Amino acid sequence: MGSRITCRSSDSSSVPDFQSLSLDGRTSAYEVSEPKGTKMTLSDAVKSQIEAQLAKSRVVLFMKGNKHFPQCGFSAQVVKILTDVGVPFETVNVLQSPEIRDGIKAYTDWPTIPQLYVDSKFVGGCDIVKDLHASGELQSMLGVAAKPEQDAAPVAPPTIHLTPSAKQAVVAADDASGDTLRLEINAEFQYDLYFGPKEPNDVETTANGVVVRMDRATAKRANGMSIDWVDTQGGAFKIENPNEPPRVRALSVEGLKEMMDKGEAFELVDVRTEGERALAKLETAKHLDTHDAAISAMDKETVLVFQCHHGMRSRNAAELFLRKGFRKVYNLEGGIDAWSIKVDTTVPRY
Amino acid sequence: MSEHPTDFQGDILVALRDSVVKALPDAVVEAQGGGGHFTLVVTSKAFAGKGPVDAQRLVYSAISHLMKGDRAPVHAVDSLKTKVPT
Repeated sequence: MGSRITCRSSDSSSVPDFQSLSLDGRTSAYEVSEPKGTKMTLSDAVKSQIEAQLAKSRVVLFMKGNKHFPQCGFSAQVVKILTDVGVPFETVNVLQSPEIRDGIKAYTDWPTIPQLYVDSKFVGGCDIVKDLHASGELQSMLGVAAKPEQDAAPVAPPTIHLTPSAKQAVVAADDASGDTLRLEINAEFQYDLYFGPKEPNDVETTANGVVVRMDRATAKRANGMSIDWVDTQGGAFKIENPNEPPRVRALSVEGLKEMMDKGEAFELVDVRTEGERALAKLETAKHLDTHDAAISAMDKETVLVFQCHHGMRSRNAAELFLRKGFRKVYNLEGGIDAWSIKVDTTVPRY
Repeated sequence: MSEHPTDFQGDILVALRDSVVKALPDAVVEAQGGGGHFTLVVTSKAFAGKGPVDAQRLVYSAISHLMKGDRAPVHAVDSLKTKVPT
């Protein structure tokens, strides 16, 4: 089995349950060999739910788990391929919805998960996606050059803003070994800044007098970004990048405290129940249940910080507001519990 | 090889081969595996002119009875390749 993650149940990649494979009266081929199977048709509600999910992005993967935590080896392989190809994609976690899990199989007449869709059209499962990737067909389908490192045209050096304090931090970290600062931005817009040797095909730019090298894919993702240095928690680079698709950003309780102390403009939103708020709350937090409409109507550039007990429910709410078009959405990691422990012990824990 | 609980009695590889051949009489089937996980290479004229999705559907439909339920003899087809005879 190698390093494959064990699938816990019976419909991964090539693991079907075969009980539910007919689409709106159309006889499924699977019923021929399993006439006693429970016949389940795809309801209009589930069908329109699936179509709405397919419309969310050009590239949609129905999978077990999500792209950050695939819960099946086959799903993980397809996530890795899509990440390597470097296209934005949405994932739908079928483990969260039995209706979708059965529905997507009936929708496409395909018995297994994962299932990849491009432009709402079914492309294939794990095996097919692997083959299409190896042959380069997947890349051309997605409008990506198969081997950008070798045959792409030169990439213009990106403009990168490096603040004086960030420059100071970089210079202080330089061990004068001759390596230069390297920047890496992967397809998920995770950043890495380090000193390293020159690589072939590097793109080189100068930011505030500092030479920065990067690969081509990074260069395309870096243009117009700014790198700042913040002194909190031992110091860290703070990156703003206009190329980054909006996403929920993690905010520590210390980070929230600092935003409060500086008097920054933001809305703190408590997604918990009234009962929990009675036990412990942050005074400035607005209760989502009673302010939902008002918050939704706010300017989409408003900074929103979502908070719950431990940071899980608030992440879901934050994702929802991201989909509503808000661009500066934060999730308070660890929730009010972390706040009670690390920032203000007078807030009761429960 | 992982253990996989099943009520199936008999040779699963033979059952896989027979099931595919029943649906696609000209098929040449190479089946390997055990412990619930299998790899299949199926060669048949039935795949001619079909894309990989439709070709794999033919095979899945032929073996669906071996893959149904929690205690199915075939828990996963780790890899399924379809070829047209040359």
